Amino acid sequence: MKCELCHKAEAETAIRKHVAGESQELYVCQACAKKEAQRQEPAASEPSAQPGGTDGVPVLPLMGMILDAAFEIVGRAKSLAEPACPVCGILRNEYRKRSRLGCPACYEAFSKELDAAILDLHRASQHVGKTPEKAKAFWQRKQLADKLDAAVEAQRYEEAIALRDQLRKLDGPEAEKEGGPA
Amino acid sequence: MMLNPEWGVLPKKARHVPTDDIAMSCRVRLARNLVGERFPDWATEHDRERVFAGVREALRVEAPDLRVEPVAGFEEQDRDVLCESHLISKDLLDRAAGGGVAYAVDGSVCVMINEEDHLRIQGFAGGLDMQTAWSAADALDTRLERHLNYAWTPRLGYLTACPSNVGTGLRASAMLHLLGLRLLGEVEPVVRGLERMRLLVRGIGGEGSEAAGQIYQISNMDTLGADEATVVRRVARICAEVVRQEYNARVRLIQESPLVLVDCLARSLSVLQNARLLATSEALEFLSAMRLGASLGLCTRLKVQDVDKLILLMQPGHLQKGMGTAMTSDERDEMRAEFLSRKVANVKLKC
Repeated sequence: MKCELCHKAEAETAIRKHVAGESQELYVCQACAKKEAQRQEPAASEPSAQPGGTDGVPVLPLMGMILDAAFEIVGRAKSLAEPACPVCGILRNEYRKRSRLGCPACYEAFSKELDAAILDLHRASQHVGKTPEKAKAFWQRKQLADKLDAAVEAQRYEEAIALRDQLRKLDGPEAEKEGGPA
Repeated sequence: MMLNPEWGVLPKKARHVPTDDIAMSCRVRLARNLVGERFPDWATEHDRERVFAGVREALRVEAPDLRVEPVAGFEEQDRDVLCESHLISKDLLDRAAGGGVAYAVDGSVCVMINEEDHLRIQGFAGGLDMQTAWSAADALDTRLERHLNYAWTPRLGYLTACPSNVGTGLRASAMLHLLGLRLLGEVEPVVRGLERMRLLVRGIGGEGSEAAGQIYQISNMDTLGADEATVVRRVARICAEVVRQEYNARVRLIQESPLVLVDCLARSLSVLQNARLLATSEALEFLSAMRLGASLGLCTRLKVQDVDKLILLMQPGHLQKGMGTAMTSDERDEMRAEFLSRKVANVKLKC
């Protein structure tokens, strides 16, 4: 997502800006966030207003303080602590703003709040209907593999062997040959 | 103007209004996405191009009869023409990179590539023949699935960019012409009733559009919790009930408020025959009235199909395509008025 101020760099931070008495949430790049902070609090960016700023004290924490003072920060620092999709990297804030998810894996990454929203939207939580053949095979295999893991963990070896054989059957004759003795 | 002396007795034709006159067309759409790919709104141009290439390959193998075109390759007028014909959406046009369309020449099926979802498979049919539209979309979907890895889970079904489509990804819709109910002031209760039954009611242009010309698009709201065939049957059944209500409204209009009807038809015909400038939206309002008149057999030399054709041909893209040149909005309004007045010049009311 591009910065909503410069429209060039990637947005990394969400800031809440007060314009004409109205609070507006904007997704901006770090450079624009700093510029906005300086515009709001010009005095704070003066060297004289930065106690210790020239005495080896890191500038970043100071900038953080400025941002915190000037805006209600709802951006990167907080967002990073929020769930992000491990596949596409979309943050919760981002998909909520556009009302569009980033990729199919987002359904799992944001399942807590999405499940409730889906129930509200459709008054149902379980799919009924068409199943693509490829997906059916994948999920059947996944279900067996999960059961196998659980059986091994619980040391239920007879059950594990049976499950392994079922998995090999699913994977076809090649896999059965490769498997060798139990 | 003299009223027909036989008012009070339905004109012969009005006693048998064909339902296709009210239910103009129907469509079933399936939203599909690919595993491991970002949804189009978040994808890079490169991602979208890759998805387009993959889908094109699947189409080449499984549906070689479909014509596949990237949106970026279309002339601007062709884009508008496809959009006005409801083959593709405005949203797709905004997503030039990787956006594409595959369509059957007979207009029975169409696939939008990289619109809101990676694939939007659509089946079309006339009237309320939703079963035909569903069968066409379903068959193409099943064929494509052999080559594409659809994002699907046992719990949520087909995963879509917007959670409002998750599950079957199916939207079954019908276009209904409800001018009779409008003239009797009864559209709002019908719309409220449909919304209570969890159906979406939109205008002719789909999401967010007004019901210009009293043409309404009615579709299912929920996509999770009921199978495709059940949803399609339910939408078709409820739409058939709305068609029956519109038919009854037309009968009552003739029997109880003939002046309202005749006034509406006469004004509309008069404007269409004499106007020098006509914007698309106002032309649609007048053509809508002529459509009702034609359906009731109250217009000479004008059939419902003729009016449907005019509704399409008078829109900006078709108009410019027909003239073979790009025009400004004012030029189009002038051309539209001239075109329509020519087409309805010999039409007369039988009342």
